[in-house]
Amino acid sequence: MLIEQLINGLTLGSIYVIVALGYTLVFGVLNVVNMGHGEIFMFGAFMGVVVTNILGWPLYIAFVVAIVVTGILGYFLETFALRPLRGKEGVSHLAPLISTIGVSIFLENVAHHFFGSGNQPFRTSLSELKFVLGSTTVYYVQIIIFVIAILLMFGLTFWLSKTKAGKALRASAENLAVASLLGVNTKRTITQTVIIASAMGGIAGILVGIAFNSVNPQMGLSFGLKGLAIIILGGLGNVRGAMVGGLILGMAETFIVAYGDSGYRDAVAFIAIIVILIVRPQGIFGTATTGRKG
Amino acid sequence: MLGELINPYYLQVSSFILINIILAVSIYITLGTGQLSLGHAGFMSIGAYTTAILTLNYNMPLVLGVIIAAIVTGIVGTLIGIPALRLQGVYLAIATLGFGEVVRVLFINWDGLTNGAIGLSGIPHLGREIFNLSKSMGIEPDMFGLKNNQFISLAVFFVLLIITISVIWFFVRQNNSRIGRAFSAIKMDEEASEAMGINITYYKVLAFGQGAMLAGFAGALYAHLMAYISPSDFDYHRAVEILIFSIFGGSEVIWGSIFGAVFLSAMPEFLRFINEYRFMIYGALLVLMMAFRPQGIIDVNMMNRFKRLMPKKRGEKKHGTGNKEDQ
Repeated sequence: MLIEQLINGLTLGSIYVIVALGYTLVFGVLNVVNMGHGEIFMFGAFMGVVVTNILGWPLYIAFVVAIVVTGILGYFLETFALRPLRGKEGVSHLAPLISTIGVSIFLENVAHHFFGSGNQPFRTSLSELKFVLGSTTVYYVQIIIFVIAILLMFGLTFWLSKTKAGKALRASAENLAVASLLGVNTKRTITQTVIIASAMGGIAGILVGIAFNSVNPQMGLSFGLKGLAIIILGGLGNVRGAMVGGLILGMAETFIVAYGDSGYRDAVAFIAIIVILIVRPQGIFGTATTGRKG
Repeated sequence: MLGELINPYYLQVSSFILINIILAVSIYITLGTGQLSLGHAGFMSIGAYTTAILTLNYNMPLVLGVIIAAIVTGIVGTLIGIPALRLQGVYLAIATLGFGEVVRVLFINWDGLTNGAIGLSGIPHLGREIFNLSKSMGIEPDMFGLKNNQFISLAVFFVLLIITISVIWFFVRQNNSRIGRAFSAIKMDEEASEAMGINITYYKVLAFGQGAMLAGFAGALYAHLMAYISPSDFDYHRAVEILIFSIFGGSEVIWGSIFGAVFLSAMPEFLRFINEYRFMIYGALLVLMMAFRPQGIIDVNMMNRFKRLMPKKRGEKKHGTGNKEDQ
């Protein structure tokens, strides 16, 4: 029982990590909380439904389609909602927050329009496959989700620390103006970051579809808000913090459902961030800045 | 004659617009000290549930229920405002968003008191109460040539109109006072205003508490107007809606926020013929607004232009002497 719950928690947590990474990458470079990320993630999940259920194609194509579609959405988000606000005189730090909220309202209602407001089943041939180890049942799906999440985390860490583009991204995150002076094409780096963050959202969307077997237009909001909570928990713009924060939240939610009151599951994340913000505003892994970024 | 002109539906829409104006003013006050709150839906729900529970379970008169609701929310807002002082910008936005979600989850799970996700129904209706009151005073709808429902809608509208105008009047006055000037000084530059001897802690908590109290008040009115409330009425979308009233209309001046509330709550009525797409338009509108006019439709410059067009009044001169008092 305990081990099963641990596995459930890890699965949920690794999905949260991928969602949160999308937020944290964009925040790291742009100092902007991208409120549209949850809805881009939801579009990824719907692409999975379209490809596997409606068209009947295999799952790996769903991943490709979701990555491409959410990447394009990310590009549009950057072009229409973020770029016009950058470097403009007299634009408050609230402006990108509001314009990405606009994007999220837009996308949510586009999804309503095309896919309906109800739950869409996300059935794959994988969802019933499982094996029993002693007294614990493990679903293959859970292993797939966990492996993909780990691969993404390692891939991202490698990309950020070893490749030229990743170094450019970190330089831009440190200081956009200086990075630009040193020859980093910051415009391209920013676009690249938003696209990669969105594509990660798309992957997370498919994983959620596989894990919960159903997809609806409101899921962008609930996962998006948790993603926000996680990046506060781990420290805004902090990649390692997002990873640990996501796993902590996944575990905490699973255990409160298993051993506590399941009604309060959705409150865990927010009680945690309220406590964190009061006790340690820079987050668990954040460096002690003044907390005035953004 | 009068009876044919009055359409209860439009009056009801107008009544909701008035409540939205109060909500827009409530977020305007909080924004006025540079604090961004996404928790106003939470405050609104605290007000709504307080008065609903008091009037339903304890048979309290409606007026008393609304007043207590506003006070309770004000206290909660002040208590939230103190730790919120440590946070700024995006951090405060997410923390208050978290507060709103926690309140919502609490109301869903507190079955015994709030009836959970189903919500509370049968809350005394504002129109009914006015109707009974005027009946006992011997005023009948027939005297104006109105049907009962027309009379009720009209009475509700006028009561809310008076309340809304009083609220606006109060805060316009406050803006021109020592408190209002302290608020705008803090918004401009916190450190500089602290150096000028303004007690930042006091004024920021005051603004947060006032905003919360007003949101709770609006929530209480909403409960008595709808006669039915459930936690889903006060979710994230509501919080964003309230914030957008002010941001869209212009958060620099109170009239901007009021305009935002009126425009954005009336727009769906005019866009009914493209009902299916109206929220998409709403979202796209926000993106365009931020790109082309991030300070909102009505800003300080526009207000000054208006003032120049109008004949000079006492207010102009007062503005000059007002600065001296602040220093």
